[in-house]
Amino acid sequence: MRFDPVLAWGSMPALLDGALMTLLVTFTVMAVGGPLGLAVSFARMSRRRPLAWFGAAYVSVCRGAPSLILLYLIYNGLAQLDIVRDGPLWFLFQHAFFCVVIAFSLNHSGYIVEIMRGGMEAVPAGLLEAGASLGLSPRQVLWKIRIPIAIRYGLKAYQNEAMLFMKSTAAVSAVTLTDLTAAANEIFYMTYDPFTPIITAGAIYWVINNAMRIGFGLLERRLNRHLGLA
Amino acid sequence: MEFARLERHPAVAMAGVDKFYGKYQALRAVDLEIQRGEKLVVCGPSGSGKSTLIRCINALEPHDAGTISVNGIALGRDRASILDVRREAGMVFQQFNLFPHMTILENCTFAPRTSLGMARDKADALAMRYLARVHIADQAQKFPAQLSGGQQQRVAIARALCMEPRIMLFDEPTSALDPEMVGEVLRAIEELTADGMTMVCVTHEMGFARRVADRCLFMDQGEIVEAAPAGDFFDRPKSPRLRAFLAQILK
Repeated sequence: MRFDPVLAWGSMPALLDGALMTLLVTFTVMAVGGPLGLAVSFARMSRRRPLAWFGAAYVSVCRGAPSLILLYLIYNGLAQLDIVRDGPLWFLFQHAFFCVVIAFSLNHSGYIVEIMRGGMEAVPAGLLEAGASLGLSPRQVLWKIRIPIAIRYGLKAYQNEAMLFMKSTAAVSAVTLTDLTAAANEIFYMTYDPFTPIITAGAIYWVINNAMRIGFGLLERRLNRHLGLA
Repeated sequence: MEFARLERHPAVAMAGVDKFYGKYQALRAVDLEIQRGEKLVVCGPSGSGKSTLIRCINALEPHDAGTISVNGIALGRDRASILDVRREAGMVFQQFNLFPHMTILENCTFAPRTSLGMARDKADALAMRYLARVHIADQAQKFPAQLSGGQQQRVAIARALCMEPRIMLFDEPTSALDPEMVGEVLRAIEELTADGMTMVCVTHEMGFARRVADRCLFMDQGEIVEAAPAGDFFDRPKSPRLRAFLAQILK
């Protein structure tokens, strides 16, 4: 094994371009998948049967299917359907980036639903009773007590999911996007150096992951400072 | 109008109240009247229904049969009557149940601001007044986890008082506390009783019951077995079950 520092330095612009795509996909999916997951988690916990079933089915499919399979289905599969090709949203579905965001958001939000549900169920019943006994409506108890505490409980589990998912975005090269892994691979094909570009890319992933860890740590410190959880 | 309603009705009137948890009957045809300003202590062995009784009064547990009315408001299944009754009766729990993500002050101002729409500065002033009454105003900016159990329970009392209820319900307020903190919480409750508030307290603190209660209630197996003024209750218990209970806890 030989690591070529000159090649590593020379590859930096291309790798950082790729890293930018990785970050763009990661944060867009977090921004889309987060609210989506929250919304579906309410359906999942609803007392209305059809809603709860929809939530359960959503989790089963979106969490059960590998993100690459979802991505192929949306990018390659939907494009074959006339209803999509001639539909009003084709201008979006023809773009690989859009399909990536949809596929990964479905997958990411599937995990969020279960994280949120776990957090909601972990909120002690006594706190909800205390809210009710103070004359608050069930809706006020839900939004001002249960959800804020559930989010704090779920933060740790969400951090794990977000970091795993950031690394799994390497799959986007399958639909023509050049992310960090794809950029490293292209340099390999040009130079036939199997170590330098991929080790450098690995190091950049490491930096991104740790930046996320620190970010989550700060958020957690801020939100949970007095929750007796940290 | 308001005055007339209070004048005419007892603070709490329960008649023929049953409560089931599945097949288990927690309350059996309970009849109870609590007068305005009365200090009532409820005791009994665990599983006797005393917590259920107090939780039925503010509809934390819906009752299955009979009638309950609080300051003349009949408690039904509809949200409006439940909300009205909860405005009349404040509740303090065994486990304090302070909101962990809010400061002490926010715990106290939360309900007045959210449910009564009180302005922030007014709610703050109100909260500080009640926090001062339970001698904990200096901790207002801290979070619950930073306080001792006794301090947290005093905050819980202040939080309930901030809704200015006419009746206070205490469900074993000192049972989760370390022994050295029991006194400070009981003193805080005792000080409140001085200004004529109606109080119902489930407790095992017999010294407190003797000092504070106008009337003591003994429950066993979902029934009120004996009710008597504190002196008679402790010194001249009539029923064998109460005698056995007192012998057990006082020995």
